[in-house]
Amino acid sequence: MNPVRNLLRHPIRTGLAIAGIMVTTAMLLDMVLLSGGIERSFERLLLGRGFQVRVSPKGTLPFDTEATIPGARGVRAVMLSDSAVVAAGPLLGASLYARRTDTLVTLFGYGVDPVAQAIYQLDDGRDLAPADSTGVLLSQASSTLLGAGIGDTVTLVARLDPQAAVAAVERRLVVRGIVHFLYDYKGQPSVAALLPLMQDLARRRTEDRVSAFVVKIRDDASLAATTERLRAALPALEINSVGDMLAHFRERLVYFRQLSYILGTISLGVTVLLVATLMTITVNERLGEIATLRAIGVSQGSIVRGVMVEGGTLTLIGGSLGVLLGVLTAEYLDRILTAFPGLPAAISFFVPEPRSLLVAALVLVLTGILAGAYPALLAARAPIAATLRSDAT
Amino acid sequence: MSRRSQLPGAPPILVARELRKDYPMNGETVHALRGVSLEVRAGEYVAIVGPSGCGKSTLLQLLGGIDTPTSGGVTLNGAALEHLSDRDLTRLRLTKLGFVFQRFHLLPVLSAAENVELPMAEAGIDRAERRARAAELLGYVGLADRCDHRATQLSGGEMQRVALARALANRPSVILADEPTGELDAATGRGILDLFRRLSLDGVTLVVVTHDERLAAEAGRVIHMLDGHIVNDTLEAP
Repeated sequence: MNPVRNLLRHPIRTGLAIAGIMVTTAMLLDMVLLSGGIERSFERLLLGRGFQVRVSPKGTLPFDTEATIPGARGVRAVMLSDSAVVAAGPLLGASLYARRTDTLVTLFGYGVDPVAQAIYQLDDGRDLAPADSTGVLLSQASSTLLGAGIGDTVTLVARLDPQAAVAAVERRLVVRGIVHFLYDYKGQPSVAALLPLMQDLARRRTEDRVSAFVVKIRDDASLAATTERLRAALPALEINSVGDMLAHFRERLVYFRQLSYILGTISLGVTVLLVATLMTITVNERLGEIATLRAIGVSQGSIVRGVMVEGGTLTLIGGSLGVLLGVLTAEYLDRILTAFPGLPAAISFFVPEPRSLLVAALVLVLTGILAGAYPALLAARAPIAATLRSDAT
Repeated sequence: MSRRSQLPGAPPILVARELRKDYPMNGETVHALRGVSLEVRAGEYVAIVGPSGCGKSTLLQLLGGIDTPTSGGVTLNGAALEHLSDRDLTRLRLTKLGFVFQRFHLLPVLSAAENVELPMAEAGIDRAERRARAAELLGYVGLADRCDHRATQLSGGEMQRVALARALANRPSVILADEPTGELDAATGRGILDLFRRLSLDGVTLVVVTHDERLAAEAGRVIHMLDGHIVNDTLEAP
């Protein structure tokens, strides 16, 4: 009662069933990855540099709008006065231009404190020093766009007069390093400089304005309490932990998740039908054989077990191939989705997680085994003598 | 395979008492058996003969516990089959009875040796012992060189030999065979007849349902059936 050999009796039929299970498994897997993937990816992105709290203008999330926070130094001092706060990094986003021979190209600029930032990772060269007022960091896209590398000088231009096309502020800066900006969309040309320099370029210096703060709390256990204290101390600002932001995010994605669950359940249902149909056909064809086995003393339990193992094996083979197909499909779809403009390139829609994969695999194999149970029971309970009689005629 | 016949004065190991079997067919009741009683002693070679539809195969199925009588009962080694649970009856078929069917009914995906090992595996015999016993039995039926061949690679006669080896696997008290030469040509059937004779000489208890006069002629006792009755029960001269 070797399950693989039994399945190979009808290779084309088995092959088609495996192909069907493979496709439904891939669909189930992609739905599982999709249902929680974007949330997990977002969480990883937000916590990537260890800052657990975001501070933004009231009623907004960071970079939701162009609203800014005035009096950044004072706000930062209030936050750092809390003993649980380890670091508070200001961040200003601004639209800029850069000179390239005789034309201007559009860039996005970040004003940062390099000691407390959660916006970029250094890829090459060196980071900005805390007092480096002549340095700039480029993304790979802006480096390519400007034709500038480490050690080269670039000219950043801001506050372009739309009537006269004359720049009000112009700064020549030396490229210190190439970085990748964590929240940039694919190919976004961005630069980073010290906050005061960027405030000058964006004419935000006078009111000491920033777009947001990132805050690092000493330990996760005190996160909720510290967030509450900061809210109380800075009631004019929106203060959210990453957990709070994920909750907002989850609410926005609720329909998306429900759709994933429904499609996943349909995939599972199709798998059950496929396995049950195939096993019913198989068992009906082998009723005489099964009656013989019962006649020579093979127990009902052994017959049921044999058929269920066959169903499980079928699902395991189809499921394993389906996982491979699902991962490849997910990668392909992820490449398409993350190329959408306006989405951070670091976000993934399909995030494989061992636990999810294991749960999906277990559910699938159990489903396959159980789908074989009904035809197995029918076969094991078939009257032996009558079946042998009808098989002989 | 070395058992001595226990025939002279041996107690009956298989007893049928007033067996009746009715079953519905096309809205009517068919009386397949109408009160059949018989006793089979250890080492006996019994042939059950009669025209088609006389109840031979039904009797064999009742004797083997794969069907239940409408009334009457069967006792094997002192155990009344009608009082056994399905589980115990299955176990009894596995360990005390060996079946040989007209159409062999080997598992096509298994080799000859694996087919013979199957009842032993079900009985919980360890792998090494199973292999050794399967090889011994296949040697006994003349298929020592065909152990690893799939059932589908064997001829009809070879398949029936494997089926016989399978029936002997758990050293049963009785072998029940239903038309064992029914699907074989005369020459191949001859080989099976020789095997049955050899089994009988080795003391194996055999109950064979057959149309084959040659096979019946080999038996030490021939039971003639007609319309669900035993009409003649003859001990043949040795």
